[in-house]
Amino acid sequence: MSNTVVRCVLALALVAALGGCSEKASLDPVQQSGNAPPLPMAQDFLVPPMQVPIGVGWAQGQSPKVAPGLKIEKIASGLMHPRQLYVLPNGDVLVAESNGPGAEPVTTPKQLIANKVKNLSGKGGKGGNRITLLRKKDTAGGEWDKHVFIEHLHSPFGMQLIGESLYVANTDAIVKFPYHSGDTQITAPGVEFADLPGTVNHHWTKALLASPDGSKLYVGVGSNSNVTENGLEVEYRRAVVLEVDVATRGSRIYASGIRNPTGLQWEPQTGKLWAIANERDEIGADLVPDYLTSVQEGGFYGWPYSYFGQIVDRRVEAQRPDLVAKAIVPDYALGSHVAALGLWFSEKNALPEKYQGGAFISEHGSWDRSPLSGYEVVHVAFQQGKPVGKPETIVSGFYSADEKKLFGAPVGLTEDQDGALLIADDVGNTVWRVTAESH
Amino acid sequence: MSVRPKPRRSIVAESIYGLLNPIPFGCFVAALIFDIIYSETAVMLWDKGAAWLIVFGLLFSVVPRFINLTQVWVTSRLTATRTDKLDFWLNLFAIVVAIVNAFVHSRDAYAVVPTGLWLSVCSVLLLSIGNIVVAVERAARGRYINE
Repeated sequence: MSNTVVRCVLALALVAALGGCSEKASLDPVQQSGNAPPLPMAQDFLVPPMQVPIGVGWAQGQSPKVAPGLKIEKIASGLMHPRQLYVLPNGDVLVAESNGPGAEPVTTPKQLIANKVKNLSGKGGKGGNRITLLRKKDTAGGEWDKHVFIEHLHSPFGMQLIGESLYVANTDAIVKFPYHSGDTQITAPGVEFADLPGTVNHHWTKALLASPDGSKLYVGVGSNSNVTENGLEVEYRRAVVLEVDVATRGSRIYASGIRNPTGLQWEPQTGKLWAIANERDEIGADLVPDYLTSVQEGGFYGWPYSYFGQIVDRRVEAQRPDLVAKAIVPDYALGSHVAALGLWFSEKNALPEKYQGGAFISEHGSWDRSPLSGYEVVHVAFQQGKPVGKPETIVSGFYSADEKKLFGAPVGLTEDQDGALLIADDVGNTVWRVTAESH
Repeated sequence: MSVRPKPRRSIVAESIYGLLNPIPFGCFVAALIFDIIYSETAVMLWDKGAAWLIVFGLLFSVVPRFINLTQVWVTSRLTATRTDKLDFWLNLFAIVVAIVNAFVHSRDAYAVVPTGLWLSVCSVLLLSIGNIVVAVERAARGRYINE
């Protein structure tokens, strides 16, 4: 009898071991960055690679680490899940405090468990559904003045000012508010300007960027699944960059096949549209690298059928060889599962010489990788409008040395009037400001 | 299960077993049907349905499997036949296969095919053989009327 029990226990232990086994990454993000990243074979798992540090926030006086020659200060704390930043012409800084609308139904047993695991990191914290305005105090140093700017939004992310109109991208629509220079609060109700794909909202953020002449708005719309597991019908106008005509409010698909374009910016030297994108999960700790790419009008970038050009993802049925054949290889890989969520091009700023020009990218980190990757802000140098070299870490230290605790996670990026780099941190509920170390 | 008189068998345990034991088999058969439809159509509804059926099948199997374990190896061990023991092991392997299958069904979209389909075939086959050997033994002992 006891023999039998032992055998049963062994059998169950074997199953548990099989269930628990998952691969550690063998490439580090820097190795897997650049224009020709090594891409291992895709794997199917019983349990995908997974590591989630527990969100604990920042202790009093604790802050992220910066590269030599830089210093970091806290300019706002106690925010409600700050995701995105935008600087108004008078130097005021807008902070969109937001998280997903929580409207995605649980349709698989996996979601029940995965949602609980992912939320341990603090990334699932409740969003404020509002925009807060930060204004620098006359006295040097310390936190900035905080004003509740717009309330009762619906998972807002992108913000753009054109003339005297402030456009806010809620998760399901672009809303337009009247703005006058110096305002610290907008009470006028927002007017719906253009609708955005709002079903499911698996990827809920809607990045927003106005054309320099103010005639168009570009919207980054993420996919409604990792890789079509919610059906293709909910992917209509998803994983695309939409172009909205400001005069007529009509929209069209500008580029497609970009799984989750979370940041859009104009590259200053060439004036071209660039995006950062989060690639697919669950086929390996070293797959698929997230990327930074120029966005070509009418371009198709692979999702869901393929990645990095013509590498077919077999999880998608039925395949579309016609689309795969024309899939564009992204310009620059950032490493797998770094979760790039903030992009800022800066020609001239208050940081040391080597950070002039090029792109700053914040990496939020992902549940689908062990050891952790991302959770830092990097700088990618540009030459003649193209990224060169390897990403250089400028802000890190968002998790503990043993990778068990998460203090913060960088999201939105921008640059204030003095050329300092601002970083929203949605786990630490903080806005950080990075400048050159004063001598 | 054997139909020989089992003096120490509890009526409560027997009733719970009779009530719950068919449910996992039904769930796994339905999951297999859904898996076949999914592999043919790639419509996600079927794959997600199969994933739930496997999980519910496993949940419903916990109590009847423990009753069976106790009866075959403890309370009725003296009267348990080879068929009873074979049925026990077939069920155990079916459950192990179904647990692996639940993980396979947590993969996204078509990554479930074909592994998930074959695992569903396996768990249904194992349970079917178990049900058949029990039925055959019952017939051999002259118990033709199904309860």
